[in-house]
Amino acid sequence: MFVARSIAADHKDLIHDVSFDFHGRRMATCSSDQSVKVWDKSESGDWHCTASWKTHSGSVWRVTWAHPEFGQVLASCSFDRTAAVWEEIVGESNDKLRGQSHWVKRTTLVDSRTSVTDVKFAPKHMGLMLATCSADGIVRVYEAPDVMNLSQWSLQHEISCKLSCSCISWNPSSSRAHPPMIAVGSDDSSPNAMAKAQIFEYNENTRKYAKAETLMTVTDPVHDIAFAPNLGRSFHILAIATKDVRIFTLKPVRKELTSSGGPTKFEIHIVAQFDNHNSQVWRVSWNITGTVLASSGDDGCVRLWKANYMDNWKCTGILKGNGSPVSGSSQQGSSNPPLGSNVPNLQNSLNGSSAGRKHS
Amino acid sequence: MSGTKPDILWAPHQVDRFVVCDSELSLYHVESTVNSELKAGSLRLSEDSAATLLSINSETPYMKCVAWYLNYDPECLLAVGQANGRVVLTSLGQDHNSKFKDLIGKEFVPKHARQCNTLAWNPLDSNWLAAGLDKHRADFSVLIWDICSKYTPDIVPLEKVRLSAGETETTLLVTKPLYELGQNDACLSLCWLPRDQKLLLAGMHRNLAIFDLRNTSQKMFVNTKAVQGVTVDPYFHDRVASFYEGQVAIWDLRKFEKPVLTLTEQPKPLTKVAWCPTRTGLLATLTRDSNIIRLYDMQHTPTPIGDETEPTIIERSVQPCDNYIASFAWHPTSQNRMIVVTPNRTMSDFTVFERISLAWSPITSLMWACGRHLYECAEEENDNSLEKDIATKMRLRALSRYGLDTEQVWRNHILAGNEDPQLKSLWYTLHFMKQYTEDMDQKSPGNKGSLVYAGIKSIVKSSLGVVESSRHNWSGLDKQTDTQNLNEERILALQLCGWIKKGMDVDVGPFLNSLVQEGEWERAAAVALFNLDIRRAIQILNEGASSGKGDLNLNVVAMALSGYTDEKNSLWREMCSTLRLQLNNPYLCVMFAFLTSEAGSYDGVLYENKVAVRDRVAFACKFLSDSQGSPLDVLKDERVQYWIENYRNLLDAWRFWHKRAEFDIHRSKLDPSSKPLAQVFVSCNFCGKSISYSCSTVPHQGRGFSQYGVSGSPTKSKVTSCPGCRKPLPRCALCLINMGTPVSSCPGGSKSDEKVDLSKDKKLAQFNNWFTWCHNCRHGGHAGHMLSWFRDHAECPVSACTCKCMQLDTTGNLVPAETVQP
Repeated sequence: MFVARSIAADHKDLIHDVSFDFHGRRMATCSSDQSVKVWDKSESGDWHCTASWKTHSGSVWRVTWAHPEFGQVLASCSFDRTAAVWEEIVGESNDKLRGQSHWVKRTTLVDSRTSVTDVKFAPKHMGLMLATCSADGIVRVYEAPDVMNLSQWSLQHEISCKLSCSCISWNPSSSRAHPPMIAVGSDDSSPNAMAKAQIFEYNENTRKYAKAETLMTVTDPVHDIAFAPNLGRSFHILAIATKDVRIFTLKPVRKELTSSGGPTKFEIHIVAQFDNHNSQVWRVSWNITGTVLASSGDDGCVRLWKANYMDNWKCTGILKGNGSPVSGSSQQGSSNPPLGSNVPNLQNSLNGSSAGRKHS
Repeated sequence: MSGTKPDILWAPHQVDRFVVCDSELSLYHVESTVNSELKAGSLRLSEDSAATLLSINSETPYMKCVAWYLNYDPECLLAVGQANGRVVLTSLGQDHNSKFKDLIGKEFVPKHARQCNTLAWNPLDSNWLAAGLDKHRADFSVLIWDICSKYTPDIVPLEKVRLSAGETETTLLVTKPLYELGQNDACLSLCWLPRDQKLLLAGMHRNLAIFDLRNTSQKMFVNTKAVQGVTVDPYFHDRVASFYEGQVAIWDLRKFEKPVLTLTEQPKPLTKVAWCPTRTGLLATLTRDSNIIRLYDMQHTPTPIGDETEPTIIERSVQPCDNYIASFAWHPTSQNRMIVVTPNRTMSDFTVFERISLAWSPITSLMWACGRHLYECAEEENDNSLEKDIATKMRLRALSRYGLDTEQVWRNHILAGNEDPQLKSLWYTLHFMKQYTEDMDQKSPGNKGSLVYAGIKSIVKSSLGVVESSRHNWSGLDKQTDTQNLNEERILALQLCGWIKKGMDVDVGPFLNSLVQEGEWERAAAVALFNLDIRRAIQILNEGASSGKGDLNLNVVAMALSGYTDEKNSLWREMCSTLRLQLNNPYLCVMFAFLTSEAGSYDGVLYENKVAVRDRVAFACKFLSDSQGSPLDVLKDERVQYWIENYRNLLDAWRFWHKRAEFDIHRSKLDPSSKPLAQVFVSCNFCGKSISYSCSTVPHQGRGFSQYGVSGSPTKSKVTSCPGCRKPLPRCALCLINMGTPVSSCPGGSKSDEKVDLSKDKKLAQFNNWFTWCHNCRHGGHAGHMLSWFRDHAECPVSACTCKCMQLDTTGNLVPAETVQP
């Protein structure tokens, strides 16, 4: 059972992204109000905003934390065609005494000619590296060769995806059996049948990223893509938010069976596909063990998905976007009772909830 | 209204009222049903709201369009545009305010009769009403009426029977409009521009025109087909939407030459577009024969000024009901709330949620953002642990030191909550293996750790002799198997699996008895059977059935078992091999799998996942030939290293650093290569040699701390100078005494607990005596002094140094999660 509670965010416009740091003690949010806010969790479990500053000159789409071994570092990306790297510093000011921390911009990545739609730090074993993707269809991989100097980032790779990119995800596996890998989603909505999800893999020999797979069955705009935390699995799990929630497994075909030197070949299976959101699915997020997937969609609900031991995925929870429980029995694919909540309906006592409900 | 397709309007001010209009006008009142039952006669609009019909007005036939008066008073005054071009003022209010009574029923008549397409009240001068009409030769198509205008002299009294009032009354006609615009044209849609009270935007035939009432001879226009449904963004007064067929055009009035944007064309013609009044840049559109409201969230639209930017428009859709939607209306004040009506007049009230972005925290709480709000959602603590996700389980187990009891290994399953039989079996197996290793160690020390991680396969494979792979010769019911052909390694493996006790005894009897005592009848029976003792198996099952705790069906199973025949094509065999799959208990299932299997092929037993691994391994040891190997391959390989890394990473993410450290300590005992080298050396300022020279023979256990020179142990000489050059070590920034001297109590310190600390056993190097320094300003001193200083200060104790030593490392300020309530 899950219980939801509301936190006063005080953003002046829509919040586009929420991101936790490695320990889950800090959180960053970004918004159309062009700002990023950093939140710290008190010992009592409450969240306090400890920094809020204007980061870009346009909507900030995404914000993400670097691993703490690189310091307290954030990256953000925006409609203003840039991505930026921020570092918390202990300055001369007495911010800390007022409970506020100070963040400085370490670099602005200006290579994109269009809106930068996603930014993600690479898994820490790869060093301090980040990838951005933009509406012009290019994924860029940057590296800070000197982790002590966050103002120096070199553009290492430019991967052309041919389609406007909306989201990226690094494969988190640190196994030596798995070369670095990036999954890219496209929200290109023009009516063509091109696949909207591609996977690129780093090739040690050519020192370049090459396309390893294209998920041919994903032809509708993709809004979010996420590799599950690996935790020692030999294969990869990828969740895609498109017009439905999809979960793929990618099993690497053993190298000796493929031609050496080329990208890894995968056996790709779709293990789950849910249209319970009725319409567009906006976000997917894995829990720390990659065993529960959360998704949000145009039905205004957050849904949780979990596999049983037979690898059958099921909905294990639904909550409305305002934290209130979903009542009624028309939910499909849910064997569990609707989630409980002790939160009063926050938006309006007359809130409709039939939004996007399918009675089939 | 053609009379077939209803339209719907929210009252502009009374936020709980709306009107549905088709052939008549029906006024409804919305009520919340959150805390009350649905009243009789009300219609359900959503899970928590319902509507009650307040009144019906059917006085105005041939309605083509309706517009609600924008002022507060009178509350329910509506203008109705009719098929003949007349505009009638009508009311749905029950209390007829006398002040406005003469407005009700007033008609505004154009010179030539033709359809009235659209009506628009002026938002500033509430008495102005613009009406858009079809074309009639050279006549004007946009008429602006002043509803309070004195009746023109040529008014014609008209006798009319008022059905509702039941009284006869004269209706007054107004024929002189305030303004006449759009000569020789047709008007399809209208809206007043908020920029100025006297600017009117009209969708004319094949052009959009802006009329300026201050100078009616002037108009600004642009030729376009998109002339339907003109509407101004309430948050961005220069942004206008209009549509034609399935395409929406977005205009910027500052550059009124071409659309700044056209939205993706819909296959069916649009019927309505409307900007959300409570949120910027959200346009709702509806097409014919559709149950979907398509929303366009215009995060960024191109502007005529400045550089070209690509638009960011997020296309969304909501499906409020299953039926086709006839019309919809945004609520004027409730955030993103909308009501829809279907052709058969069912209504639905709902709220469009903003796109939700979400993230899982490592400690299994889910945070999401919806609009400007944040919601945190955590798993309830008091949940039945079986329903908890493995992430939560792992975290709770780690917190209870799961896996860290290396003395009584079997206890780990209790640390895990003692509810998972698989885990229990696993830890017992490990326990047996460890015990065996210890026994071996006593016999031949020096062989340490060779077995613990060797795995069954290598134990069995270490046997050079080849075991005869013949099916054990047994035909009778209780003929003991010939254990001679189990070699020593296999016996060892069986011991490890717990089937047989240590020593030379190879009898499974004691094990069976213990299983029976614990009520694991099925398992005991299976083990007995695998030891080829059918009689014992049947006996155990009978015992189980009669014990009361076990399943009575066990008798039936026993009966079936007793019918065993070795005949290949017997009915028994046939039935058992099919019916066994319906057995719920995995052990019963594998018993029949075993009995019906062909010689040497025991997949039915070996791949039954629900049977404990160690029983399967034991089975394999008993029956499989060496070439078939065993199903387990627990070897120390790269994958295992990778699993360890991932687990350590998890513990770190949860801030279970103490558990991780404990894990590392246990791990380094088995795998010395995993022990990290000393990370820090302190070199003397004068000679450059490491000051830990004196204790370099002792390998350092600590990580990241420097305890050099300050042993505090009376048996060692105190080191206050460099062992290389004998120059004194640096002084503590606080007590100004050279490091390495015994620390005195904090000057002026009122912390009595420190004194207590100091009086503790001095044989241990106390943390208070340790060297510490700030890596940034490189000032430092005794750890105890430094800590007490920074309890009250932010800056370094060295004069003129403004370094905020203690705040430099954010991770360092995090408290391990084990020490606080999670």
